[in-house]
Order: sequence, then C-alpha cells, then structure tokens
Amino acid sequence: MTDSKYFTTTKKGEIFELKAELNSDKKEKKKEAVKKVIASMTVGKDVSALFPDVVNCMQTDNLELKKLVYLYLMNYAKSQPDMAIMAVNTFVKDCEDPNPLIRALAVRTMGCIRVDKITEYLCEPLRKCLKDEDPYVRKTAAVCVAKLHDINAQLVEDQGFLDTLKDLISDSNPMVVANAVAALSEIAESHPSSNLLDLNPQSINKLLTALNECTEWGQIFILDCLANYTPKDDREAQSICERVTPRLSHANSAVVLSAVKVLMKFMEMLSKDLDYYGTLLKKLAPPLVTLLSAEPELQYVALRNINLIVQKRPEILKHEMKVFFVKYNDPIYVKLEKLDIMIRLASQANIAQVLAELKEYATEVDVDFVRKAVRAIGRCAIKVEQSAERCVSTLLDLIQTKVNYVVQEAIVVIKDIFRKYPNKYESVIATLCENLDSLDEPEARAAMIWIVGEYAERIDNADELLESFLEGFHDESTQVQLQLLTAIVKLFLKKPTETQELVQQVLSLATQDSDNPDLRDRGYIYWRLLSTDPVAAKEVVLAEKPLISEETDLIEPTLLDELICYIGTLASVYHKPPSAFVEGGRGVVHKSLPPRTASNESTESPETAPAGAPSGEQPDVIPSQGDLLGDLLNLDLGPPVSGPPLATSSVQMGAVDLLGGGLDSLIGAPNFVTPPAATAPANLGAPMGSGLSDLFDLTSGVGALSGSYVAPKAVGSISMDLQLTNKALQVMTDFAIQFNRNSFGLAPAAPLQVHAPLSPNQTVELSLPLSTVGSVMKMEPLNNLQVAVKNNIDVFYFSTLYPLHILFVEDGKMDRQVFLATWKDIPNENEAQFQIRDCPLNAEAVSSRLQSSNIFTVAKRTVEGQDMLYQSLKLTNGIWVLAELRIQPGNPSFTLSLKCRAPEVAQHVYQAYETILKN
Amino acid sequence: MISQFFILSSKGDPLIYKDFRGDSGGRDVAELFYRKLMGLPGEESPVVMHHDDRHFIHIRHSGLYLVATTSENISPFSLLELLSRLATLLGDYCGSLGEGTISRNVALVYELLDEVLDYGYVQTTSTEMLRNFIQTEAVVSKPFSLFDLSSVGLFGAETQQSKVAPSSAASRPVLSSRSDPSQKNEVFLDVVERLSVLIASNGSLLKVDVQGEIRLKSFLPSGSEMRIGLTEEFCVGKSELRGYGPGIRVDEVSFHSSVQLDEFESHRILRLQPPQGELTVMRYQLSDDLPSPLPFRLFPSVQWDRGSGRLQVYLKLRCDLPPKSQALNIRLHLPLPRGVVSLSQELSSPEQKAELCDGALRWDLPRVQGGSQLSGLFQMEVPGLPGPPGQGQSTSAPPLGLGPASLSFELPRHTCSGLQVRFLRLAFRHCSNANPHKWVRHLSHSDAYVIRI
Repeated sequence: MTDSKYFTTTKKGEIFELKAELNSDKKEKKKEAVKKVIASMTVGKDVSALFPDVVNCMQTDNLELKKLVYLYLMNYAKSQPDMAIMAVNTFVKDCEDPNPLIRALAVRTMGCIRVDKITEYLCEPLRKCLKDEDPYVRKTAAVCVAKLHDINAQLVEDQGFLDTLKDLISDSNPMVVANAVAALSEIAESHPSSNLLDLNPQSINKLLTALNECTEWGQIFILDCLANYTPKDDREAQSICERVTPRLSHANSAVVLSAVKVLMKFMEMLSKDLDYYGTLLKKLAPPLVTLLSAEPELQYVALRNINLIVQKRPEILKHEMKVFFVKYNDPIYVKLEKLDIMIRLASQANIAQVLAELKEYATEVDVDFVRKAVRAIGRCAIKVEQSAERCVSTLLDLIQTKVNYVVQEAIVVIKDIFRKYPNKYESVIATLCENLDSLDEPEARAAMIWIVGEYAERIDNADELLESFLEGFHDESTQVQLQLLTAIVKLFLKKPTETQELVQQVLSLATQDSDNPDLRDRGYIYWRLLSTDPVAAKEVVLAEKPLISEETDLIEPTLLDELICYIGTLASVYHKPPSAFVEGGRGVVHKSLPPRTASNESTESPETAPAGAPSGEQPDVIPSQGDLLGDLLNLDLGPPVSGPPLATSSVQMGAVDLLGGGLDSLIGAPNFVTPPAATAPANLGAPMGSGLSDLFDLTSGVGALSGSYVAPKAVGSISMDLQLTNKALQVMTDFAIQFNRNSFGLAPAAPLQVHAPLSPNQTVELSLPLSTVGSVMKMEPLNNLQVAVKNNIDVFYFSTLYPLHILFVEDGKMDRQVFLATWKDIPNENEAQFQIRDCPLNAEAVSSRLQSSNIFTVAKRTVEGQDMLYQSLKLTNGIWVLAELRIQPGNPSFTLSLKCRAPEVAQHVYQAYETILKN
Repeated sequence: MISQFFILSSKGDPLIYKDFRGDSGGRDVAELFYRKLMGLPGEESPVVMHHDDRHFIHIRHSGLYLVATTSENISPFSLLELLSRLATLLGDYCGSLGEGTISRNVALVYELLDEVLDYGYVQTTSTEMLRNFIQTEAVVSKPFSLFDLSSVGLFGAETQQSKVAPSSAASRPVLSSRSDPSQKNEVFLDVVERLSVLIASNGSLLKVDVQGEIRLKSFLPSGSEMRIGLTEEFCVGKSELRGYGPGIRVDEVSFHSSVQLDEFESHRILRLQPPQGELTVMRYQLSDDLPSPLPFRLFPSVQWDRGSGRLQVYLKLRCDLPPKSQALNIRLHLPLPRGVVSLSQELSSPEQKAELCDGALRWDLPRVQGGSQLSGLFQMEVPGLPGPPGQGQSTSAPPLGLGPASLSFELPRHTCSGLQVRFLRLAFRHCSNANPHKWVRHLSHSDAYVIRI
C-alpha cells in the first residue's frame, strides 16, 4: 500500500470516512488517517472540519502519531482558535513528559500556533524548558522565545524571557548558543535602540569559542552576529580576525562568505602597513576563487559579492584575472557578471590579456553578451589610459565586421572614449561615418550625432550628415532629437555661414512642431541665446566638457561601505541597501564600517583588556583577572648576577652544570617584592646580559601562583627554564603554556609538563624545549616574548626579553668570497658601529669564545697593528649578520661594525656580543 | 530567516508547502513564484527573485523546484546551500528525489522539515543527527534488487557488472530499516573530475582547470570505519615532492570534517567513519599544470568563399588518451554563422553523426579510442555573410559567428589529475558475516572544453 492513494480526488463523504477512521481505536488506522488528512492539506483541500477529531488523537504515547497531529494543529489552529484551546492541556502536559523529544516537540508546536489565547499558557512551560536539562529542549525553547516575541513582544519582556535568553549565550551546548544568538539577533533588530545583544570582549570571546564547536548553520548565526560588533581597537580586531580566518576553508559557502564579511569589516581597522594585513589579504583570495567552482546559482551570488569586494579592495584578487574568464557554457547572467569584474580588475599589467579575451567574446553568438563585451572594451579604454589606443583599434576591427549590433555598440563606446580623450582619435571618425546608415538604435544614433556635432569643424560634410538625420526628425526618439538639436547648434556656431538654414529648421522643428517640453525648452534657450548674444552662446554651447572617468560605473563609496557590511546577504546580490527592499522596521539599521584606529595609540587600561586573548596585549600590560590584579602585580627583578652561566658558551661547555649553577644563584637570590606600581616593563631597560637573570614573580589577584621564569637559553636546541612557585593556598593542576606570536616564531615544542599537582608553597623547576616554527609577529623590542601560563585557577601573563644569541645557528659560517660580496652589497646606511669596552681578551680568545656561540670568524687580518676579525652569524629565521671586530692589542675597547639587511637586529646582536665576551 | 519552503513539480504544482513564520501569503506564493519564473527574461538571473518584499531563492533538482522565501536580508548562500542539502536529505530518507517519492512521503517530508528548520532557523542538515528524531518510515515504490540487470549500466556501453554499480542502487533510501539487511552493506566511492580547458585559435593552451572530488555513498551501518588509500605520489601544493616520478600534483585539497588525516601525510590514507548517506570526502583543484596530455586536440581548418557563400570546415579530432582508454559520448558543438542553410558532410566512420541544430553544428561520436584520430568535412551554404574586410574572395579567416568549438565527453576509468583510489578497506565490528560490496569508480568529464577557431 502506498500513500499515493491519499491524493485521489475528493469524493462525497471523504471527510466523513476520514472522521470515522480518526475515531477508530486501532492505532495504525488512526495514523494512516492522519497521514491522509495531511496529504489533503498539502494539496490545498480544506480539512479543517476534522479539527476536533484530529485533536482527539493527540493523547497518545506514539511519537509518530503525535508528530502528525501537531503538524495538523500548526496549520489549522489559527483558523480555529477556540478549538485550539482544547489542545492546550495536552501541550502543557507534554512539556513535562520524561521524553525530551516530546517536551521539545510540544514547546516548538505551541510557539507555531499563533493564537493569542494560547500564548498565555505557553509562558510557564517555556520558562521550564529554557532551563531544561536536555540541550535539545533548550535550543528549541530558545527559538520559541523569538516566536513568542513576534506574536507578543510585551509579554516576552514582562516575563523576563530576554534575560534567560541572554544567559543561554553562555550555555555549554554550542547548538543552544547558536539558536540563542539567532533569536536575540532577530529580536534586537526590531528594537534597534535596545542593548539586547550586549557585545563586549568577554561575550565575543564566548562566541568565538562556540564558533569552533557548533554546526555549520550555527556558525553562520554566530559570524553574522560578530559582524555587528565593533572592536575597540586594531589589536582586538586582529585577534578576532585570526580566530575567524580558519572558517574560510569551510565546505559550506555560506560560512565562508559570512567569515569574509567579518574579515572585510574588521580589516578596515587594521593598519595597511601591518604584516598581518598583507597576510589576511592573501588568505582571502583562495576561498573566493573556490566559490566560483560551484553551481551557476552559487557562482552568480558569489560574483555579485566579489564585485563589491573588488571595488573595495582590488588588491585581493588582482592576480586572479584568469578565473573570471568566461566559460562557454556559463549561463548568461554569470557571463555578464564575470565581464563586469574583469573590467574592474583590468590594469596596465593585464590589459593585453583582457583585451584579447574581450575581442573573442565580441564574436560569440549571444547578442546580449556580445554587446556587453563591446562595451567592456570601451570601459577598458577609459580605465587604463595606456591601452586606449589598442582598444580603439580593436573597436575599429569590430566595426569592420559590419555586424549591426556590434557596430552600434562600438559607436556608443567610442563616443565615451572621445569624451575621455578629446581630440586624440578623430582619425576614426571617417570609419564611423561610413556606418551611418546601419544605425537604427536610438542610443547609437544619438552617439553618432554627438560625435558629428562635437567634431563638426573637422568633418567636411557634417551639415549633410546632420541634415540627413533631420528628415525624419519627428520619428526619432527624444534622446536623438535632443542630441540632434544640440549638434546642429554646435555646427552653426562653428560654421555659421553655411548652416544658417539648417539651424533655423531644427529650431522651428523643436519649438513649434514638438510636444515634448524638454525639447521645446532646449530649443527656445538656444534660439534666444543665438539671437541675443552669439558670443555668449558660443561660450555656453561649446564650453569645455568635464572629462569622464571610470568612476562613473562604480558604486558610490558610502553605499559600497554599507554593502560591504552586508556581504553574503541579499543586499549584496541586489547591490541595494536592505532598507530598499526589506519591509518595515526590520533590518534597516544602517551599518557602517568601523573607523580605522591608529595602532599603538590606544591607551589601554588593564581592566578593559580582553581576558584570555593574550595575543592582543600590549607587551607591558598584564591583563586583569580581577579588580585587584593591577595593584597586586609584583614584579620581581633578580639583581644583575655577576657570575651567571654563559648561556652561549654552554653549547660546548656542558650547559647543564652551568645552568644548574645559574638557577641556584637565582633561586638563592632573595625574592624582594617591589611596590605594586606595576605595569611598567621592568626589564625593558635592563641590560641584555641580565636576560637570564631577569626573574618575574607574578602574583595574581587572589595571590594564587608565583612563578619565577628564567629566560630561554641555548643547549644546542633552544629551551626555556621556568621555576613555578605556588603562593596560593590551593593546589594547582592542569598547567599549560602558550606564547604570543613573536619576532622569531618561538613556540613551545612540547606541552608544559608539570606532573604532580603543585601544592601551596611548593616550587617546581622545568625546562621547556622551544622551537622556532611558531607564528611570527614583529615585537617591540625585537626580543620580547609574551607568555601565558594557565592552570586550574587562572591564566597568568608575563613577558620577558631573551638574548638574541640563543637564535644563532650552527651553520652560520659564511664563505670568504660570499662574505666579501655580501659586505659590499649591503648598503652602508645599514652599518652600525658599537664599542665594546673593558674586554681583556685577545683576538684568538675572542674568536674561539664567539665561535662557541655560533659566531664564526671568516677571516682575520692585521692592519697597522690592529687585529681585524671578520665574522658572520645566522639567525634561526635565515637572517645573516656580518661583523667586523677591530681589536687593538693592549686596548680593552673593541670596535664592532655590523652589517645586516635587517638593521633592526644590530642593536641586539651587539648586546649578544657584549654578553658573550664579558662572561 | 526563511519564511516559507515549498517543493513544486516541474509543472508548478505544489507538492510540499511549509510556512515557518505565520506569513500571510499562503500558498498563492507558490503560484506567484512559478509565474515569475516562467516569465523571466533570458538575461536576468533567476537565482534571486523578488516580489514586493518577498524574495525567492530556488534550485532545480531532479525536475523539482525547491524554493525558499524570505522577507529579510539574509544570506542567499545559506539558502542555496540549505536547499541543496535538503535535496540530498530527502534523497537519503525517501530514496531518489522525484515527484512520486515526495508525494508518497508527505508526512515524512514534513517531519524532516520540522527538524531541519525551526521558525526558519536552520537547525541541522546532517542525516545522521536527524535519525534520532525522525519517526516516520519511508514508503518505497518498489523493492530494490541488486541484480536487476535492466538497470545496470552507468557509462553507456560499459556494462561489466564487476566494475559498474547498478544505477538503481542510488535511488534507494539510505535509512530504511525495513529493507533487507543483507543489502545494506554497500559502499559506492566515486572519483569524479571536471575538466575545463580553453585553447586559443593558435593552438596554445590558455587555461586548464580540474575540479575533482571523491564522493562516497554508504549504506553501511554508521560508525563503521573505512580507510581509503590514494595514490602514494599524491602531492599537494606546488612545492611538495613525493615518490620518484613527477608525482600526482594538485593545488588545493579540502576534506570533509569527518575525515581523519593521521595517515594522510605518511601513506596518503584517509580514515573516516562515514554516516549513512552521501558525503563528499575530499575536494581538490588543479590548474595550469596537467600531468598527462589533454584528452583531445582539435585541428580545424576553414575555407570560405565569400562570393558563393560556401563555407567549408574541416575538423580533425585527435584523442591523446592512452591507447587502452577510451572516451564516450563525445559531442562537438560548433556555433555557425547566422543563416546557414544546408549541410553536407563526410565523416571518417559510420557510427558518427552530424547535424545542424539551433544555428550550430553538432557532431556526435559515440566513442573514441585513445590514440586514434577522426575527421569530418562539413560544407555549408551561408548566403550574404559579412566577414573580415580587406581580404580576397576566398579566405581561410573564419567568418563571424563561427566558433568557438566546445567538446563534451566522458572519460570512464580515467582521471585527468592521475589520482587513483588504491584501495578501500572496511573494518567491521558488527556484521562481519555480510560481505560488503564495494564499488569504486573513476570518471572524468568535460565541464567546458573550448577550442577557439
């Protein structure tokens, strides 16, 4: 038996039969009956008469039957409000059912029954369901609040559902979060002034976390919500961008476009010279290109969006011209969009390629497309000045084909080219005139007439040409008539002697025989001008015209900015602001791009720094974990240790021992606590040599953890020694460490291993291996490293400076010839000179000591009693530094000259030299 | 958010109509949509249409229109994605999508819609997740038989049972518990590539582009693990090098979120536990740098006598596939100048066919063996044709409106990128008695293979 028999035509008494079946006591029969009812409902038959009978079936423990009945109820309750009340009791009961599916089903259906009387009964069950233990019920309830709000907004506010909904944003289940966000966003849109979706760094952070966990559809809600947020500065914008970027590789194109929207918007706040800005630009191109491999429908929507993006930031796709080449089997609407984008991307670099393509297109069969292609050639000429000549000759070739519509289209664009480059290409006019007869479209005729009038003095038979148009003056369209009038007046002003008759004729045609007020007015104006003051007439009619530019076809910038905020939405497809096509008050809040903020100028206070986002921190700001933190921050500086280990020489000299000693001396040093004035970067001014001994004692607001951190040192591979002391009263577990991005990409190579829980006042020493494959961001100062240590209690932040010589690599010895060539090659302004004082070593000792720290002596020379050491070293990121060390025997001061393509490292290399040589 | 969703038959009859937001329009909206769609001028995009402040977004799938309406400024991408997911979902639950299956399963479709969309918010589109909620059983028209030989044959003549999956297998609902359990153990794995090529009139290659995907349709119980081994020389990106040869190189790869890649780096093995139903395991993309020669080269020569209006086109088509491979269903489409009146032809073999249709020449070749060469000589009368100026009466310059030629074809058991599935292994935990059927296919077909003349 199949359900298709439900569709058999209504016979007399079918309703009656169904009624009987609905009241049957066999479950199967009932179910089949309800199915039949629903099938009838779908094809548009009125089965509302069965309402009571169907409602009677509601009391069942069969979920399938219950669902069917609910489906029916949703459809007919509105037309039978009184009857619907009958169902209320079952609804309320079902909301308490032990089965979460039934609870959710009941609350979902009740929300869909848009009957006022029912909503009163809905409140209590809804309140319970919003706090239900089952996430499926909670997520359904969250949507139900939006439904209820649509029916009775006041009720929702009075009942406090909005606050409950806000709480759901921090729910543990990402699905619930997504629905709560969606519901709140929609409610907020109908109250633009209310601060429902109170977005702040904390809630944004929660959303970003949920973003990684929820379904693709939830991600769309969350991303759209993020796009409405305005970060307070460029750092926050960047950190959000970093977390959104992974969405670009999602398989769902809606997720991709929503992510693009967030990025495009927040990019506005990033400074263009930021490295990250460039990275982001590069990341945006591939997903956009990928969208173009989808079905034509999606391609079209993608192209409309790309059109906006290209206008806003052409640099994103400037190398991707080829993907916009039209495919033979693209639907016409895709072809036209692609053409438009090709022109927007056209530049001097790729114009030859573009023109070759356009010329091909102009010979295809599809008339609309060919026309657009011809026009595109003209737009290229206007856009890329260097190509104008090429474009004009291409257009002439096309005119020679004599294909009617191609010729007309070409003439229209040549007129535009004349307006852009006056008096440059008149030589083509002769060819144009040959085709006068084939012009039958008003636009082309008007264009031709304009050209004749404009260049009347160079066209010998201009009067004849114009006269020929005049014959059928009344049959022309207004556009042509106006143009003809103006052209003849121009002609008269240029050649008054021969054309008097002609001008009188056109003036009388325009003023006396025409019904068109525009034409008449223009005719009278010319007439009076000519009759009262021909000189003035000349000034008016033959005045210099402003040049046209390619901007004429661009979307107006303020509108463009608004549309960028709506990337991925209908607005971006229509290229109209939502207010133009969305009804009433919904969604018409004008959006604008955030203003660009100057980097580093923001005065961040620790209280507002986003917690848990260490990447956005100022180097010297320790983010607040509570109000007390700022005051309780203790910076503990170890004294400049006189005999601490030579981290650099440790490569060959048994690092462990030395370091052990170093650590001992550090631990032995008294931990004196400086007064709480604390955000000053205490180690900024400290000499590099004390890098190892810089020691922090961080205490959080609750006095939880004290850690002593020792700067990284080198043991062949790089590692960082840490000493963690628990100064809280609680046991600490679950340690984890993370570095902010830094100049050399230092990152933990292994997780932080604190094996046993750290009990109060216990100290543990660790060595953390590091790698240099992390992400790179230039820090100030260069060797600054920001670290976050997390445990079960809190997150602790500190920053430290590491000596640069840990980054010198072992293959840093340069060949002599290469050295010489490189030295010459690096410009002199990159040379930096330093004095190293009080170093009692001789040249050999210096050389060997430096070698053990991977500074290699390439050559040695003795000039006038001075020893010259030529040395090279290489950093982990491949930067070479070349050095010349001048040592005068008997003089403890050396002169160090450094040359490097990245001059900013010189200062730090010098400090490394000092450290290595002095110890 | 979505206001309404409906499914229309190809004739515009509503099969399913669901209103999510108490919209006033009612079912007239469906009719309105159909009228608008039919009356649309050719150049306008049918993707997004609007009437007052109601916006329609639709896709066409198996002859049905799946339409969503909205009155808000929401993402058309999400709607389009949703509609195509819904098409897949309905296919998974009801068997293949079609007018009959939909009207037989109205209740099931409504139930699905209720779970997928609540108040117009998309909740989930995962077949697997929805299983927990769906109660109604699908009604299937006729029982499926694996050995229904009449339906065998996917690639035209290629009807070897061992290599080709019965096509009707795909029209079975994935999630029907009523079907015989022994039939459930089937896996279909397709490597499908679409090839776009643009060749300039001087024969130089302007653009090559391969879009590939590995698709899986699984009837296995959810959670059974499978491993898919790809060619070991498979390299991603421009710089990676594997193996000794030139390698199988693609520019970009993306994977379905359920794919585990721990063995991918070392052995090029994808590990996954697919849910029942269809999913795209991997997508990849390759441009400009094909490892093998292009499957087809076309050498056209055009003679055109302006005086008499005679146009002679000689086309030589060379198939550069390896000799053992072949291409099927080749169709060459060559737009002709307007006003072509007659066609006479000389073709190199009898099974070919050429005819004029819609102002273009259509040359059909049922199959072409790799390494072979075929030719066709076509003569046409084109009275009063405009052409390039400044040249003599008889010229080899092509007249306006001729070309570009486009080819469509299928290459069974061939991938342009060279990517192959080495093996498909299943690890069974539950039904070890049933030996699953595994169908692995490779297929390339043309997307836009255009040769300018």
